[in-house]
Amino acid sequence: MITNGCMLKSFKVTEEKGNPLPPQREKKPKTSPCVLRCGTAYGNLLAMDDISAEWMTSPVRDCGSDNDVSNDDDDEDDEEEEPIRKRSKWPDLPIPAPWYGETSKETGFHRSSRLCLNQIRECLLEHRWQEAAEYLISYFQTLEEISTPRQLLATEIIFRLGSEILHQHPNSKLEDVNHFFDLMKNTGVRGYLKISLEHSFHLLLTGNFDDAVRQLTTAESWRYGKQSAVQADKMKLIHAYRGFLSYLSWISKKGSSSEDDDGDVSAIQEMHTYFRQACISLQEILKLPGVWDPFVVGYVNMLEFYNDHEGALNVLKEYAYDSRFPPNPNAHVYLYRFLKRQGSTEKKQIRVLKILGALVPSHELMLELFSLLLESGTEQSLKEALDVLFNLLDDCSWKHSVAAWTCFRNMIKLLRRKKLKHLLEEGWETRKDWWPAFHFRTYHARADFQLSRQLLLMKVVVASTLVGNSKNAFSACLGLIVPANPLGRCFPTQSTFLLLGAGKEQKHGLGVLVNP
Amino acid sequence: MDEELIGFFREPCSQCSVVNWGVTEEGGYYCKSCHNVIERTVEVTDPSCVTGSRVSAISHGAKKPAKQKHGKDWMVCEGFQFILKQQAEALLAMGVRPELKDDILCNFWRGYLHKSQQAYTTKPLYSVTSQQESDSCPESLAASELSCLSKAETESDMDGARSTISGWSSDGGRLSSVCTEALDSSLYCSARERRMHHLMTMPMTLAFLHLSLLWLQEAITLADLLRFTAEGHIPYINAYQNFPEDMKLFGRDALIFRVESLPSYKMVQEEAHNLAIFLDLPRFPPLTSACLLHPSLLCLRYLMELNLPDELHVWVCWVMQQAGVGKDTFLTYDPWAEKSGLLNYDILASALIVVTLKLLFKLDDQQEWCLSNSADDENKQNQDSSIFCFRKWYKTVQGALVVAKEAEEQAMARKSWKSQKPVYPSMRNKSVVIKRRRVVEQLQAQFQKLTGSDPQPRQDSPSSFRLRWGEEDGGGPSYQGRRLGSAVKKRKGSARPSNPTYWHTALSSCKPRSEKSESLSVCPSTHPSIHPSIHPPILVRVMGVPGAAAKQHTV
Repeated sequence: MITNGCMLKSFKVTEEKGNPLPPQREKKPKTSPCVLRCGTAYGNLLAMDDISAEWMTSPVRDCGSDNDVSNDDDDEDDEEEEPIRKRSKWPDLPIPAPWYGETSKETGFHRSSRLCLNQIRECLLEHRWQEAAEYLISYFQTLEEISTPRQLLATEIIFRLGSEILHQHPNSKLEDVNHFFDLMKNTGVRGYLKISLEHSFHLLLTGNFDDAVRQLTTAESWRYGKQSAVQADKMKLIHAYRGFLSYLSWISKKGSSSEDDDGDVSAIQEMHTYFRQACISLQEILKLPGVWDPFVVGYVNMLEFYNDHEGALNVLKEYAYDSRFPPNPNAHVYLYRFLKRQGSTEKKQIRVLKILGALVPSHELMLELFSLLLESGTEQSLKEALDVLFNLLDDCSWKHSVAAWTCFRNMIKLLRRKKLKHLLEEGWETRKDWWPAFHFRTYHARADFQLSRQLLLMKVVVASTLVGNSKNAFSACLGLIVPANPLGRCFPTQSTFLLLGAGKEQKHGLGVLVNP
Repeated sequence: MDEELIGFFREPCSQCSVVNWGVTEEGGYYCKSCHNVIERTVEVTDPSCVTGSRVSAISHGAKKPAKQKHGKDWMVCEGFQFILKQQAEALLAMGVRPELKDDILCNFWRGYLHKSQQAYTTKPLYSVTSQQESDSCPESLAASELSCLSKAETESDMDGARSTISGWSSDGGRLSSVCTEALDSSLYCSARERRMHHLMTMPMTLAFLHLSLLWLQEAITLADLLRFTAEGHIPYINAYQNFPEDMKLFGRDALIFRVESLPSYKMVQEEAHNLAIFLDLPRFPPLTSACLLHPSLLCLRYLMELNLPDELHVWVCWVMQQAGVGKDTFLTYDPWAEKSGLLNYDILASALIVVTLKLLFKLDDQQEWCLSNSADDENKQNQDSSIFCFRKWYKTVQGALVVAKEAEEQAMARKSWKSQKPVYPSMRNKSVVIKRRRVVEQLQAQFQKLTGSDPQPRQDSPSSFRLRWGEEDGGGPSYQGRRLGSAVKKRKGSARPSNPTYWHTALSSCKPRSEKSESLSVCPSTHPSIHPSIHPPILVRVMGVPGAAAKQHTV
């Protein structure tokens, strides 16, 4: 049975994996100074530099009206701003807005707020929440800034600081958080939707699923003059997350209805309602180019449940191959897993994995690609399989992987059997000047030996095959073996390697090494 | 219509704390910004006025007279007068003699008003310029209306206007008008006018105080004055908050009275000097040696603050005598003298201490440590610690300074600058400004509840001393009773510093490092025995650098 808590966990996991960045950021930089990132809501320690960095990408037009008191609650304000934008003809480039540091003309008020922000940052970094909250009390006065860009920046900073502190402070209650978010929403109407979204994230994290849904539903129906139109891209995200939460409700309903098999009709009805709600919003967001991993997974999951495999495949293909979308390895992973679940042909699976390999040569699915390629058995596919292995081991995250090195050892044996050793030479050619230093040093051997004997043994075989030809390489190999020997006295002769290289039993090989 | 209806219902919305009410068809209030409908409804009092379903009056809150709402007309100088009065009262509360407020500052202020033609004159500045001004700012409805009104008024009601400004009391019957800005604030907003007529600014209030304190020879130096201002003992930031009810600030007044930083030492001093020239002040009474501002006594105060031995005072006085800075003719201020300027008594005293320390301990990063070693040895021999050890003193004071500096920075970070009663730049922005203020207050209240902290931080009483020594919660042990020991030698019956040379980087000849031994032998010969005959030019040159350093220590 899937409870809310589980769902939240899965929610979190998908959040970490996929990081749906709204694509509008690249296409229309003028729309939002601070683009939402779904995954950054909580838990990360807030880095003030990020705020400033994000602020720097804010549109230049904000700097225009320096001495006006900002009037973000007024519809007239927008009417005024519009002609200014047209008149000034600033290019819509992310030119850095001024970041307010220490200057000789800094007023006392600005000095105070700068020092205060520094203090809060120190407190946050050292997890002194109480002190940070105390400093924040003084920092609130920056909301009354006279210049508009500074005022907007202050709203943003206070919103982020406040939510972080309230999230971490031992005395904070849910009512406090809700009150704070409500206040912030109505202060910075320009960020209403963004704050609503963050609010719902917070509610999800604290386990208030229903409140989060309510929050998003309210945000969906929010209208405020031109302000809601300006935040259209945020609105799309809100819709998407609303749909995603419907999907989570659908999952929980599915879990409970499958438990008692006879199936309550009304429960199934309800489940269908959730499905329809989720479908509509998720379909919409998936039409827009972007990284929508959790949404895609959810959508495909639902489609599969209702046996719409054709539709699911189309969605996944669209997501993986549409050129408007940013290159996204996960898209290919999802497609591959779907194909695997559906039991489609190896050829199709290999094709998807090859594209994934081109994007991420060190992806964990590359071992599966390797075995798929081995199974087909042609010389061409063997060559490709070898390339996959070489590329995999180029990456240092695979350096100590027993599985990868075992595959390599098996590959060498296979090539030897099939008399295709020249394939090995081709791959080695480009790596022979750096692999010995990268994999086959004495201290590597020592570390590998401590990790597992198996790993060391595999590496010895590979090393002796790859570098065994030249004298230099041999000494590298010797370095690999000698410290690994616990007795430290015996020096393996070339015959030892020949023995090993010929593929003796592992146990026997080790025995030879330790007690010659 | 709605505006009229809701004009008297000014409570903030419970949801979003905006005051932006609309009235529904049914006569209920709803918030225009968050669409929150509240229970309260418009109550109809006069049924005859009801036409259809429209409601035209509410019973809550009797209509206030317009005069009450907008306040009465006032001039900017009245505002400054009020601030000056408050500042003077704050100084009196600190123990300054009452003559400051009633005689000196008051006279200075009257002189200023007269000279700048703002009062006590037959040709008041405001009525002269307002005629030219009437067309120059058409954008401001209030201003144009104001100038027409005041034109008629200044002719008929001249005497009344004068009596309003002249005394300390700011009462006076004047006609009320629709505008709420100070009458002449447009004058103050043009830099040209300000310079031409030497109009008031907020830093000038401090200049007034400084001049009055100097005239009265009170023990508050300019550095003290600025510190008290920064600590909030003297009203300066948001001083306009305490204006009487009927003096309402609006629009451009904000530019005149709002303060976002404290003026620097130099700035106030320049302002004070210009003011003294403008007021045509005579030569200031010279300082007597009994006066606390006299370098001799001021040095004693700084020696205590710096935790240096009292024995040094003799030497400081000796240096002062040699340099000729203790004389009556030097310790005065004549605005009209050639090359005149206000004396920085605090910096002068600090410089005297620094020069004395350099004479006694050389402070070349060698001699003072040698002397410290011998002081330690002597203390060990005598089994007590009666001899002043420079190293110990340095460590104590350095530690205390670091702590004090950190505390100062934290206090700066927590400093509150914004007024509880914000000034609206225009009617259009009024609701936004009020709302923002409310939000800030609500947020502050929420976080105060969260942290359980006191909304009103405790304020220390003003004190001349910032560092305390020899007390339990002070900065460290007190060295005041220590003797100078081997730093002073008896020679030919009189005490002389054991250190023979005056070391100062700017005075020593530049030699490469390899010729160090040679340069050491050169230095004494180029500046032979400075100490018996230190003459003011060198002292002044010396003061240039260490004076600033000393200021940091003491200010």
